[in-house]
Amino acid sequence: MKTVVPITLALLLVSGCDNPPSQPKPVIGVAFETLQTPGWVFAFEVLESEIVERKLEMMEAIADGDSNRQFDQVRNMIARKVIGIVIAPKDAKAVIPMLKAANEAGIPIVCYNRPPEKTDTRYCAVVADNYGITRGTVKYMAEVARKSGKKHKAMILIGDLSDLNAIGRRDGFEDEVKEYPDAIEVVARVPTDWNQEKALAGVTSALQAHPDLSFIFTSSDFMLASIASALKSAGKWKKIGEEGHVILGAFDGDETAYEMLVDGYLDADGVQDLRFESEAAVRAVLDMREGKPVPERILDPGFVIHQGNLKEMTPRMWGAHVHARKK
Amino acid sequence: MRGSRALLRRLLASDHAVLLFAAAYFLALWSITPGLGSSENLRNIFTSMLPLLVLAVGQTFVLITGGIDLSVTAAIPLASVVGGSIMAGDVGLLGGSAFAVPVAVGAMLAVGAGIGLVNGTIIACTRMPAFIVTLTTQMFLGGLAVWYANWYAGRVDFHDLPVGFRAIAQGRIFPAVPTALVAVTLLAMAAHITLARTVLGRWLHAVGGNAKAAAICGVPVRTTVIAAYIASGLCAAAASILYTGRLETASASHGQRVLLDVIAAAVMGGTSLFGGRGSVRGTLFGVLFITILDNTLSFRGLSNFSVLMVKGVVILAAAVLDAARARLAERSI
Repeated sequence: MKTVVPITLALLLVSGCDNPPSQPKPVIGVAFETLQTPGWVFAFEVLESEIVERKLEMMEAIADGDSNRQFDQVRNMIARKVIGIVIAPKDAKAVIPMLKAANEAGIPIVCYNRPPEKTDTRYCAVVADNYGITRGTVKYMAEVARKSGKKHKAMILIGDLSDLNAIGRRDGFEDEVKEYPDAIEVVARVPTDWNQEKALAGVTSALQAHPDLSFIFTSSDFMLASIASALKSAGKWKKIGEEGHVILGAFDGDETAYEMLVDGYLDADGVQDLRFESEAAVRAVLDMREGKPVPERILDPGFVIHQGNLKEMTPRMWGAHVHARKK
Repeated sequence: MRGSRALLRRLLASDHAVLLFAAAYFLALWSITPGLGSSENLRNIFTSMLPLLVLAVGQTFVLITGGIDLSVTAAIPLASVVGGSIMAGDVGLLGGSAFAVPVAVGAMLAVGAGIGLVNGTIIACTRMPAFIVTLTTQMFLGGLAVWYANWYAGRVDFHDLPVGFRAIAQGRIFPAVPTALVAVTLLAMAAHITLARTVLGRWLHAVGGNAKAAAICGVPVRTTVIAAYIASGLCAAAASILYTGRLETASASHGQRVLLDVIAAAVMGGTSLFGGRGSVRGTLFGVLFITILDNTLSFRGLSNFSVLMVKGVVILAAAVLDAARARLAERSI
């Protein structure tokens, strides 16, 4: 009896009896790597509202930076027979088995904001033009540097290099600064793995090694707080126009960047149009489900907001909307 | 009242308590969650639990001796990138060669065993707390994994892994039987036989129960402790093989967040945090419960924060249950 009962229960567990499917609404699965930054939170919220507006249900899953967990979550979505999956993958290569699993199940899958590596699986990727937006941002910063009449020592904070977004932004920075050899000399390239503590440590070390550093680009706005902290400790946190101002640029378009633009600390910010990306992702899932042709890549052109066009571009900046919501 | 207390005591002391909880919980949710009991989802549960089971079996060996191994979450990525540096098609030392897979697998297991040997030797010879030793090796090895991958290939992961290697995690021996399931079953059986039927198993329990008394009785305490950590390291390497094969990527970021699940699964299955008690069967039940919990919460689309809160409460309950069991065991002596 001691063994029969547990064995019987275990057998019940594996019997594979199915429930009759009775989902009231079709479900779209949304699998994000993280909700660690305001950008991801905003994107998630817009995706949710897009899905709900279309009278659908959302099944959410956050992987906390674990690709294996994300794979399990995608498989759960497939088992739940969702009508489509929107995934923000942790790793551009590790996502490929997940795309394959969705393809095998006949479920449309869209990569949100982060494209996969080269693969022959069927998917759509909605991504920002990281390279182009970064070049535009750095171009504005470099013109400011050139106008100052002196040569600036520069630093870039690089993201996680398993993320193609990080690679695109790094390449955009490097290619643009090459056009300004008279005004910019890159002395530090800080790998951050999208980690605030690493960013702070890297910037602090770079400032110690190069106290006259005066040009910083960060691959994501969420590291601006670490940069501000390091510059304050070094006595270099100065507004535009003040003696010793460090030319500062960033990427994403979050609330912190908006506040720093308004306060005069940030020179330029490359903005991803997250609303555009979220709408495009949901539309792509539904179009793929209906068998309509969908391009493999949908590009968000984004834009650059800087001190010269702040008033005009503020309404389009998602961080400004988050800021306004709190007031 | 007396009858229900006796029942509660029997339930607490029972090896099958967790299995019963898992089954009851699953059956309760099955009726209100469409698709939860589908063959596809059940297959997902069993394939998801394989790497966790391997890790938890290794952790069981260590916990039985009264120790703990926190370094597994760094052993996994280090073994992964070492294996990747050997077999990756584009940059691997033996990329494209017929020997790539066996050499890479051998190297990954050697990395795991080596880490276990270092942990076990330091703990056994210096008598430092296992928590501190394995925490520091975790920090060191985590950094080493990233450094090695960057030094070797200028990046933190390796792709283009051989089909033969991927087949370990993704392949099937018979149409319905995954290769990984067969491999993990053999590993679990070997571990069970070792713990339940061999002299080494008795030594592990003896050391965990009372190391001084075990030494007086002639148990080679140091060798036994080292053997436990080598077992844990080997299991971490085996889990790394599964993680790497599943995702077709050798990465310095694999398996970084599984530690709490591993320890919770072992403890829920009846392995004592205080040492001296544990079994592979109990660990299997604990892993099943943790996997079902994860699966059902995720299946119901709960927010990530809700899932973390629920799991935190469950793991705390497991630790409280373990303490209650230890008190029960003391009273019955």
